[in-house]
Amino acid sequence: MNFAAFEPIVIFTLLNVVMALGLYITALSGQLSMATAAIAGVGGYTSAVLTVKFAWPFLPAVVVAALAGALVGTCLALITLKMRDFILKLTTLAFGEALAVLAFNFDYIGGANSFTGIGLKTTIWTALLATAIALYVAWRFDASRLGLASRAVRDDPIAASAMGISIAFMRAITFAVGGALVAMGGAIQGHYMLVISPHDLGFFVSLNFIIFLLFGGLQTLWGPVFGAVLLTALPEMLRFTNEYRLILYGLIIVLVVLLRPDGLLTRTPTGRAVRILGYTLVPARPVASRASELKARPLPAYLLRRQAAE
Amino acid sequence: MELFLQQLANGLVIGSTYSVVAIGFALAFTVLRVINFAHPDIFMVGMFAGLAVTAQWPAFGLLVAMVAGAAGAGAVGFVLERTVIAPLRGRDVLMTLIGTLGVAIVLQNAMALVVGPDPVAYPALLPRRFIDIGPVALTVRQVANFAICLLLLGLVSLYVRGTSYGRATRAIAERPDVAAAFGIHVARICQITILLASMMAGVAAVSVGMLYGSASAFVGLLYGLKAFICMLVAGNRYFEGVMVVGLAIGIIEALVTGYLSSSLRDAAAFFVLIGVLYFRPNGLFGSYNA
Repeated sequence: MNFAAFEPIVIFTLLNVVMALGLYITALSGQLSMATAAIAGVGGYTSAVLTVKFAWPFLPAVVVAALAGALVGTCLALITLKMRDFILKLTTLAFGEALAVLAFNFDYIGGANSFTGIGLKTTIWTALLATAIALYVAWRFDASRLGLASRAVRDDPIAASAMGISIAFMRAITFAVGGALVAMGGAIQGHYMLVISPHDLGFFVSLNFIIFLLFGGLQTLWGPVFGAVLLTALPEMLRFTNEYRLILYGLIIVLVVLLRPDGLLTRTPTGRAVRILGYTLVPARPVASRASELKARPLPAYLLRRQAAE
Repeated sequence: MELFLQQLANGLVIGSTYSVVAIGFALAFTVLRVINFAHPDIFMVGMFAGLAVTAQWPAFGLLVAMVAGAAGAGAVGFVLERTVIAPLRGRDVLMTLIGTLGVAIVLQNAMALVVGPDPVAYPALLPRRFIDIGPVALTVRQVANFAICLLLLGLVSLYVRGTSYGRATRAIAERPDVAAAFGIHVARICQITILLASMMAGVAAVSVGMLYGSASAFVGLLYGLKAFICMLVAGNRYFEGVMVVGLAIGIIEALVTGYLSSSLRDAAAFFVLIGVLYFRPNGLFGSYNA
């Protein structure tokens, strides 16, 4: 049992935490982006090109990669500004796939043959530092006026804009900050995997991050962290079950989705209001999500009871 | 011109299978508001159910294999509807996607455990002979596949437009609460919808397995994304629209493969999706509750 064997798992877990936190900030204004992997890929390609083709040092390359991620995130926010919930998610999906196709057909960055020859720069300390930065950013963003305003936009856009909050600005800033974190994670990951292929930008990779978020819970920033850590490490922890491990992995996801609709970690794990040190924690149910429930729920309760009585 | 017609025919054959899977997808999404990502894997289960029966009793032909495929896929679909899909009704769309994706992971890996992770040879249920239709040459299997898929699509259309259950299905798609108030047993229709979609996928799966001569536990991945795109491009207001778009995407892919390159084939569907979503966010033919 030496540490070296665990190093890749630890590094990938930490980087997944970074990217999950990026997606968490993006989701604060109410929109889950389905282009996470593509933005991470933008970061990865940017820093790879800068270090390999222009011989930049590692650190500035990662910073520029994060800026590129912020730029792409802002573009995505501006494209989807007028769109509504479901269509917006699909547009981010299509945006990500379009980036993947671009990378696939762009020979300067390797095209279908992947970008190879990236130098190994990432150590466990780099990953830890990135995680610390991401946690700090997410924590400060969460608690700041920006965080409050973006959650107001998420819960009720009309009321929020009536209070003088610019929906466009909040969308743009959450997508930019989130995109920067995701791209930073992607850049650092690129310098550990040493190869980036267009397939890493696809929908199924993005879906992983959404699973992290919904699995862990979107109510606090610890939900995504918990989801990313558990779900990255889980297949490894289940390794003793050999060929059954992916089956168990799937089963665990299904059970959490069915039994804990708000994710594993919620503000009040018991589902009741809790008083801690004079603060009352109330189970957070955003207005918007309740409204969509009302619309989607097929029957009002009084009808349900009648149908059962028949 | 000859290449064009040939690719058109090939595209129609592929597109018809996309249509059948996409219709099952669209039925689940319209009636239950659940993105059923397990549907392509139910399709896969049907493929292996047909394979198991023909491997056991080789004398039986295509018809029995298809019945077995329908039975296997239908059984899995029915159980899933009771255990996972129905409880997910009324939840956030993405949550339904994640939940059924978990089911898909379980189904794929459980099947890989049984049959192995590599593709398995599918029994030759029809001869490998070519038929010339004008300038176009198609194999017997391609023609049979197209005919079977077209028949299934026709039956769905007939069911949705011409029967009382179909009318109930459309009513639930429009307004589930009002439909319930008019005495429609919503939960029952949901069960029937998923069962029908699964059985249809099972029949198509046997035909697809026969067409390509191989079956794999991970075949669903390919069809899942394509079917999803078909549904989004068409919008879910008209099931016939989903069918047409499925055929169209098959044709576009075949033409891209024929005239450009096969590496762009998978990208073609996405470009269609982006273009359509930009100009008609609710799909070409409109959507319920968009």
